[in-house]
Amino acid sequence: MNNTLLSIVIAVLFGIGTFLILRRDIVRVIIGLSIMSHAVNLLIVSVGAFSGEQIPIETADEIIPTSTIFIDSLKTGLLAPILNGTTPTQYVDPLVQALVLTAIVISLATTAVIIILAYRLHEEYGTTDIQKIKRLWG
Amino acid sequence: MSSIIVHFPILLIATPILAAAFSMMLRSKPKMQAGISVLTSFSLVVMSSILLMGVWNSGIQVYEVGEWGKYGIVLVADLLSAGMVMLCSSVSFLSLIYSLGYIEKRSLSTYHPLFNLLVAGLHGSFLTGDIFNLFVFFEVLLLSSCGLVMALEKDGGAKSSDKLEATFKYLILNMLGSMIMLIAVSALYATTGTLNMADISVKLSAMQAAGTLPWYVFAIGLMFIIVFGNKAAIFPLHYWLPDVHPTAPSPISAMLSGVLIKVGVYGMLRVFFFIFRDVLGMFQPILIVLALFTIGVGAASAVAQTDIKRLLAYSSVSQIGYVFLGIGFGSVGAVAASLVYLVNHALAKTLLFLTSGGIIHHAGTRDMHKMGGMVNSSPFMAAAFLIGGMSIAGLPPMGGFISKFVLFDAGIVGEHYTEIAIALLFAIFSLFYMFRAWLLMFWGEKRDVTAHGEYSKHSISPTTYIPIAILALMVVVIGVYSEPLLSFAQATAAQILDPQPYIDAVLTRVVR
Repeated sequence: MNNTLLSIVIAVLFGIGTFLILRRDIVRVIIGLSIMSHAVNLLIVSVGAFSGEQIPIETADEIIPTSTIFIDSLKTGLLAPILNGTTPTQYVDPLVQALVLTAIVISLATTAVIIILAYRLHEEYGTTDIQKIKRLWG
Repeated sequence: MSSIIVHFPILLIATPILAAAFSMMLRSKPKMQAGISVLTSFSLVVMSSILLMGVWNSGIQVYEVGEWGKYGIVLVADLLSAGMVMLCSSVSFLSLIYSLGYIEKRSLSTYHPLFNLLVAGLHGSFLTGDIFNLFVFFEVLLLSSCGLVMALEKDGGAKSSDKLEATFKYLILNMLGSMIMLIAVSALYATTGTLNMADISVKLSAMQAAGTLPWYVFAIGLMFIIVFGNKAAIFPLHYWLPDVHPTAPSPISAMLSGVLIKVGVYGMLRVFFFIFRDVLGMFQPILIVLALFTIGVGAASAVAQTDIKRLLAYSSVSQIGYVFLGIGFGSVGAVAASLVYLVNHALAKTLLFLTSGGIIHHAGTRDMHKMGGMVNSSPFMAAAFLIGGMSIAGLPPMGGFISKFVLFDAGIVGEHYTEIAIALLFAIFSLFYMFRAWLLMFWGEKRDVTAHGEYSKHSISPTTYIPIAILALMVVVIGVYSEPLLSFAQATAAQILDPQPYIDAVLTRVVR
């Protein structure tokens, strides 16, 4: 149920973002971009949520793998923080949270730069309408 | 001494970042700023050559940042990475020397920090072995290149409103590209549970062998084509390039065309021949078709240009198509050919953009129809542009001839006759547009006598001649004595197509 709700939220955010990016006003384009970046951030967080057999972190010394893919074996060189475990656990994957922090910071920086660009564009052209700014074309 | 060599991969990234910080603090002292930048850039050239020699002699070098083993971020220098870093550091060193005499004084104070950050981003994206880290370095180089496009030239440069519009377009498209990259990376993480490229590659191969490869891996692959295609400006995503590259100041155009679009090529090689090596067959036809469209659209648009820098930008679009054609063929010979092509295009296009900066400064206009007869007033520029143009057009003794020759040779060996025929047709186009530009600018009489009776007497600073001369020499030397480059490209291509040594080097390490 939760997963369904999360998926729908991400999809709706993507839809709103795409709609706004296709507008003619550059401020709306920027708002659309930041909404879309939040949709991406939610997507990354949702990657870290597990259900059922999979656990993100090795918790015990002995783990009995249930499939042949996620085996932690130094001999074969297959190593992973994500393992198929038989014991239920409370952990969520911490790595995606680090990733989403990085992504948020980066999108903050790019959004700041693009807002400055939009402001300077408005100064130069006196409009925020993309159709009127179009001097260079491809 | 040997202990410091181990740290070269991180030093290649950390030194320019530190230099950026220092030169930001020294904004009021332009001489010291320039000194720091040139020193950093030169030390990067030295370090990258030592790194390349080390990789060539003793195999792949892996550097664990913070000694976290393969769970942390690793920097991997194989032949491809080290070679790209070497190319990037030399081109950026020459561009930096050029820009000291070319960029407007009041822009230089912010130009130096941003230039160093751009180099750091480029080196980082070539060296990293972690796919999320690749995204981070993409953003570093994106933002710093946006600032650099806005830097002012002494005269004859683009209007600031044009720069703003081009940068806005560039930034929006690349933000969308990086979002798509994040989606692809997180989907890969959800599939394999790791971000280390070697680890992802091993796991996808294991899944392929076990028959449990999920269908959306193909969707991830297509997303990566969009991401790297956007960076490299291949056919449906090339519309930003002819706006951004001409409006940037000439040394930055040289960096963008010479190195920055190669980041896309590098990413494509890394992701498709390494991560998706077992499902590569499905993507090859897509790459070939996109490459052919890129060649055609770029060459056909370049023919119609009157602005010299727009012509060079469209020529870049066309030439990057040839590189992707070699990648699409996918054999060792073809990949080696596209690497040779990449190096030659980087040198020749850097030469052409730097020369065009001098030409625009001299003529006071960017419109080729208003120039003419410049062979008398600036014979040096005429010679340099001729060398670069011959290389792009693929005439022997220049480097471009060798690269086109090995590419078409590899295509014929692989029996891709139709593709080679189309590529050859548009190679004739490139001959036409380069020589049309040269004839319009340097031959005959000056046409637009009303605007400027004479060409401006004040020629640009003599330091700008040095990088042009060095690049022209390199283009000719590679054309005449191409054996070292060809054998290096062969070895690199063999390593790209057989990534097992890379995987072994990264994964067989002591985990603490």
